Amino acid sequence: MTDKVSFIKQVTKALGRSKMIRPTENYATAIFDDRHLASANAVQAVTDADSMSASLIEQMVQSADEAGWKVHRTDNFEESAELIVSICKDHNANSVLRSAHSVLTDIPLDSALTASGAVLEVTEHSSESSIQQIQKSKSAAFRADVGITGVDYAVAETGTVVLHPRAGVSRLLSLAPPTHIAVLRPGDVLASLDELFAIQRDDFLNGELQGSMNLISGPSKTADIEGTTVTGIHGPLEVHLIIIENNKS
Amino acid sequence: MKPLTINFRSKAAQTIVDEQVQNSLEHVYTGFYQGRLNAAADTPNWEELRTKGKAIKDHTIAHLDHYLDMLSGKVEENGGTVFFADNADEARQYITKLAKDRDIATVIKAKSMVSEEMSLAENMNDAGFEAVETDLGEYIIQLAGETPYHLIAPAVHKSRKDVADLLDKDFTDGDRVPDATELTMLAREQLRDVFARADMSVTGVNFAVAESGSIVLVTNEGNGRMSTSVPRIHVAVMGMEKIVPSIQDLSTMLRILIRSATGQRISTYVTMVNGPKTPDEEEGPDEFHLVIMNNGRHKLLRDPLLRESLNCIRCGACLNACPVYRKVGGHAYGWVYPGPIGAIVTPVITGLKDASDLPAASSLCGACHEACPVKINIPRMLLELRHRTAEGLSDPNERTSKFSERAIWKAWRIGMMGRGRFDWGARIGYLFMRPFSINGWMKKAPPPISGWTLSRDFPLIARESLKSRLNRRHKKDV
Repeated sequence: MTDKVSFIKQVTKALGRSKMIRPTENYATAIFDDRHLASANAVQAVTDADSMSASLIEQMVQSADEAGWKVHRTDNFEESAELIVSICKDHNANSVLRSAHSVLTDIPLDSALTASGAVLEVTEHSSESSIQQIQKSKSAAFRADVGITGVDYAVAETGTVVLHPRAGVSRLLSLAPPTHIAVLRPGDVLASLDELFAIQRDDFLNGELQGSMNLISGPSKTADIEGTTVTGIHGPLEVHLIIIENNKS
Repeated sequence: MKPLTINFRSKAAQTIVDEQVQNSLEHVYTGFYQGRLNAAADTPNWEELRTKGKAIKDHTIAHLDHYLDMLSGKVEENGGTVFFADNADEARQYITKLAKDRDIATVIKAKSMVSEEMSLAENMNDAGFEAVETDLGEYIIQLAGETPYHLIAPAVHKSRKDVADLLDKDFTDGDRVPDATELTMLAREQLRDVFARADMSVTGVNFAVAESGSIVLVTNEGNGRMSTSVPRIHVAVMGMEKIVPSIQDLSTMLRILIRSATGQRISTYVTMVNGPKTPDEEEGPDEFHLVIMNNGRHKLLRDPLLRESLNCIRCGACLNACPVYRKVGGHAYGWVYPGPIGAIVTPVITGLKDASDLPAASSLCGACHEACPVKINIPRMLLELRHRTAEGLSDPNERTSKFSERAIWKAWRIGMMGRGRFDWGARIGYLFMRPFSINGWMKKAPPPISGWTLSRDFPLIARESLKSRLNRRHKKDV
């Protein structure tokens, strides 16, 4: 068995040195960027997302479509709730699971879904995180026909929806059900991966990095059989992105 | 995995005449190769990104000890466990013992070339666990009892008929072969059952971030996400070179990796994991283990002329670009890493003696160097390895060149070192070659150079050199 010290010592030796040295500054990697620069980058990313939201939405619509999202644009809350209900109906959804994102309570979703006859479950954290509870949450996700989430960030460059799993936003909600619907509001669209990771790095330096992060860009897909692209090998077969443009209610 | 590099020639010969496999390899070429070219053309700062990616990796590898120390410290700080494995056996034993200690029945495996180095799934199945590959290509390969054919397209050589037979013999209805969608949905059903009962996962690592102790997984299928969501234990395995220093470096590295691998702007799922699940989460692993493996990589690291090969981010672009790989296929290379990069890594890790055919199997056309997202100069290293085998530089007993071959090259070298010698040598060469040449070509030379003309023709050296012809003409003109 190799311990850390002897493992690293062997690496040091292979590098032709007798002891580990601290690297001198190198501008290729961002690790030498100080906290102030990281923080300025993150603030800039958020400011741009807000001030350029109209053009970023246009870019997002295009790249999300290319990534395989079915993109819907609406300009009010009622319409988006109706849209979600009609997608659920199209898939004969009996069981619908939604996250605790606030955008999903802003739109009259629960009432509309319940009225349509679907069984709606909301993932919420129960204080007793027993094995039974975990099992229950897992099987709910595997059983659900549709999973609905908000969007923590979107990335216009790649058509990506970013979700940080946490209480109320379970890891499987956007993965296990055959259909995933994500609801996006303007102001949450970042220009590119640079901005997304600038924010992550700033969060990290402030000790606020989330436990994990999922970047989702379209439906689950594979081309492992004769190079033919097929959607839905493990995750959703179909993914919808609903953009509420004006927040009018 | 036991290296079978010695069989390169026979495996290659088999593949070249296999029409079905040749068709599949053509898919790799047109799909991935063209995809990468399109993606690069669509990215305005593509060359800048490659330069930056190379600089990040150069820096990281030059300070690998420092960043390994930082990474392992951070993973532990985040509540994870780090295991340093000197070799594949140690890594495999650690994972198997962990599974035993935790009473694990079912292990789901996401794609990981490092786990292939330890033949992990095979060994865990032999040890009584149910270890299932969940990447569709790997799943097919596991059912067939084979090893992956390509870094990112492991089952590229299997036809729909092969896949149908492997998934379910009774699925095929008469002569009709099911289409790719039907087969994929059948595999989805089968693997869903496995996910539901899995209590441990083993995944690879595309990037490990030193400053934050994060690992990043890139998949299109979603099996990487299943692996980090369903089981109660997640084990990530990585080669020790897979580090980037900063979270911010990920935007550059992800861009070049994904575009070079599949030509996509981004893969469907990119997952960043910073340790076990947080206390307020319902799902996610309670335990996170990171296995960092050396397994001979220090031999590349300590070698200044080969160190650059550790910059590799395993995108597979050099395979898709390689005219030799596209004909001889992945299995010929005899170990985990095929293609041009494999022809450097494999001989050094598994031994140059049996693998000397690998660096020789290249036309040195440079397509791999051109395709590499971190600009690894693969042809330079292939030449270096050829030089070492021929001269027996790593082990005098392993010298592959014959005395006669060395004598010829020595004579060649002397002959090329001065104008007079050159003219004289060319004259001798002409006189020597003439009896064996037909229409200006020597097709069959006598020993000791008969081996050389087995696969090539040699043009007859001109009777008169260009210089002397020009001189003659000049005199005439005056």
